[in-house]
Amino acid sequence: MTVTSASVPTPRVANAAMGAEGLKEKISIRDLDFYYGETRALKSISVPLYMHKVTAFIGPSGCGKSTLLRVLNRMYDLYPGQRADGHVRLDDTDILAPSQDLNLLRAKVGMVFQKPTPFPMTIYENIAFGIRLYERLPKSELDDRVKHCLERAALWDEVKDKLDANGLSLSGGQQQRLCIARTVAVRPEVILFDEPCSALDPISTSKIEELIDELKHEYTICIVTHNMQQAARVSDYTAFMYLGEMVEFDETSKIFTSPRDNRTQDYITGRFG
Amino acid sequence: MAIYDTRRRRNHLAIGLAYAATAFGLTWLVLILAVLLWKGFSGLNLAVFTEMTPPPGSAGGLLNPIIGSLVMTFIAVLIGTPLGILAGTYMAEYGRYDKLTMVVRFINDILLSAPSIVIGLFIYEVMVAQMGHFSGWAGSVALAVIVVPVVVRTTEDMLSLLPDTMREAAASIGLPRSLMIQKVAYRAARAGMITGVLLAVARISGETAPLLFTALNNQFWSTNMNAPVSSLPVVIFQFALSPYEDWQQLAWTGALLITMAVLALSIGARILSSRGKTS
Amino acid sequence: MTQHTVTSFEDELQALSRSIGEMGGRAEQIVERSIVALLRSDMTLAHEVIEADKKVDALHRQIEEDAIIVIARRQPMAQDLRETVAAIRIANDLERVGDLGKNIAKRAVVIQHESFSNKLRVGVEHLSELALRQVKKVLDAYAARDVVKAEEVCAHDEEIDAVYTSLFRELLTYMMEDPRNITMCTHLLFCAKNIERIGDHATNIAETVYYLITGEQWEGPRQSSTRIDE
Repeated sequence: MTVTSASVPTPRVANAAMGAEGLKEKISIRDLDFYYGETRALKSISVPLYMHKVTAFIGPSGCGKSTLLRVLNRMYDLYPGQRADGHVRLDDTDILAPSQDLNLLRAKVGMVFQKPTPFPMTIYENIAFGIRLYERLPKSELDDRVKHCLERAALWDEVKDKLDANGLSLSGGQQQRLCIARTVAVRPEVILFDEPCSALDPISTSKIEELIDELKHEYTICIVTHNMQQAARVSDYTAFMYLGEMVEFDETSKIFTSPRDNRTQDYITGRFG
Repeated sequence: MAIYDTRRRRNHLAIGLAYAATAFGLTWLVLILAVLLWKGFSGLNLAVFTEMTPPPGSAGGLLNPIIGSLVMTFIAVLIGTPLGILAGTYMAEYGRYDKLTMVVRFINDILLSAPSIVIGLFIYEVMVAQMGHFSGWAGSVALAVIVVPVVVRTTEDMLSLLPDTMREAAASIGLPRSLMIQKVAYRAARAGMITGVLLAVARISGETAPLLFTALNNQFWSTNMNAPVSSLPVVIFQFALSPYEDWQQLAWTGALLITMAVLALSIGARILSSRGKTS
Repeated sequence: MTQHTVTSFEDELQALSRSIGEMGGRAEQIVERSIVALLRSDMTLAHEVIEADKKVDALHRQIEEDAIIVIARRQPMAQDLRETVAAIRIANDLERVGDLGKNIAKRAVVIQHESFSNKLRVGVEHLSELALRQVKKVLDAYAARDVVKAEEVCAHDEEIDAVYTSLFRELLTYMMEDPRNITMCTHLLFCAKNIERIGDHATNIAETVYYLITGEQWEGPRQSSTRIDE
């Protein structure tokens, strides 16, 4: 059995009221192609990202999962020679339209990267910085917001006494949570995680997985991971990609107990040849 | 084992040569500094900093060349640094993939090692000949022309060293590029960029040739930038070649002053960049 | 199917499969011989059967342990997960089958001096034949991962239940006719019930095999037509 349309549930129109299963598509991707120069890295990808759910993208190296993620906040626009064709809608706005304001889009669709990169500022500033971009708040309110974001990122208790310390003085796991707090500070609607735990130790990883579990109640989450067990633990829906194609998309429990496509089966059982 | 032994012998030989070369270089450096200290120190007294250059045969100081050098250096940095930083920023950020950047980088590298006398002659043609007289402004501009390529180079290098992930992280919260550069990139590259400026200052403190054709020299106290201004390198040039003993002594002292200043600046730059690395 | 990248994982799964095969073979043998022991009053055979059940129990424990270790160490997914879970479930069913066979053998020892009528004999033979056929077929289905055979086993469960019901009625009639028959008939009743339960376990195993191969639970009709009110 091959590719897209057979394995993707009938796409729902983005504005439709909640379907029978209570699912609403926050981001809908249809027939997305992506090019690095002349090379076609994504081939006609169609996949729904449901609101308040965690969707995981898995697949071997080079299958295009990070590329797909970076289309969703048009991060590829920073570099020449990369372009996307197709339909990607966030609610009812076309993300790929040239008229789309990139800064506003990126405020709505936040991203947490593989390598934690706090800004070269104090912990407080790291978070306040983003808030100040969009809102003018008195100091006391700003303090509260910073505290709130750090609490959401499960970091407040560890840093509440050293908000003036440089962000880079934290451990790896703490830095990553700081980056998550920073992302949450600008009040996004969608948060994209690009292999957020690959540089972290197991305990930090667990803390962040716990965090993702809590965050999904408020945000729509999309995570790219090469750790299948993590995808199984953390996500509600899983998409398996291979060589730039969307091979299978389904509920996580189904994908990991009885996937339909042989390639999916081979990959998740470690038979990949 | 024979291969291993040969390799070991060659290794020892190479290390020996490396040490010898270092010793050779260091020896000359030490000699120069020693002579400078010896000859210059004996003429170092308060008068050097309070009295003006004397006519031959009388006692005096180096006040006007010191002030002249300071003022011209300051103005040169004032002109050259913003130009250099902005150009370097364009090359590293906005125009990173442009053809224009490649061209500018190429020309900049040439300017970096352009003979300073050529620069002096150029400013002579463009400013001194047009204005009809030598001036401190011309001297400052000539020095600025030397400052700019250094600052451009270090700014571009320091900014390029910053990982792209930092820029992407800034973009991911919706930070526009200009703000990202101002608030994130500059802050992260700050130490390196300041080092670049300090190095440029150290470079121009000792430049003589460009000043010969532009600011000339002035025996007397003057605060008029529109007229010839005295400077340490030129005074050293003049005094050292003269047959007068006290002038020669002042020349040595002046040389010591410049060397000490450059040393202080280099140490300062080194401290800054090491602090930048650990933070 | 391609091999696992880590061959020891592949080996562990295959070892599980082989153990189930061995356990199944032994359980099948126990059932076969216990019936023969019952019908021919062969006491040597009966005692052999009772001994043989110990090995089946040991295999059960071993398979469970091995399966749990596979889960802990390999975090199996999809097909591999179903294989491991199936091994545990099937081992459970096979252990019960062994016990039921042992029970039949024990009862054979008790009624060794009784003689039963031809009608009863034929009834027991028929019932046990059906049950044994189910067991054989389901073990084949597992070994070959044959979903069609598994489905057939599930479908034939009713047949055994029907034969059991009629044998049940006959034994009741016998007991009502002559009270001296009660002891023997009661034991035979239990034996018949055991055989019917063996058939049920075979069907359980078939459902597990179906799940193993397709990833879905068996939805087919599985009503018991064993009626107890007659």
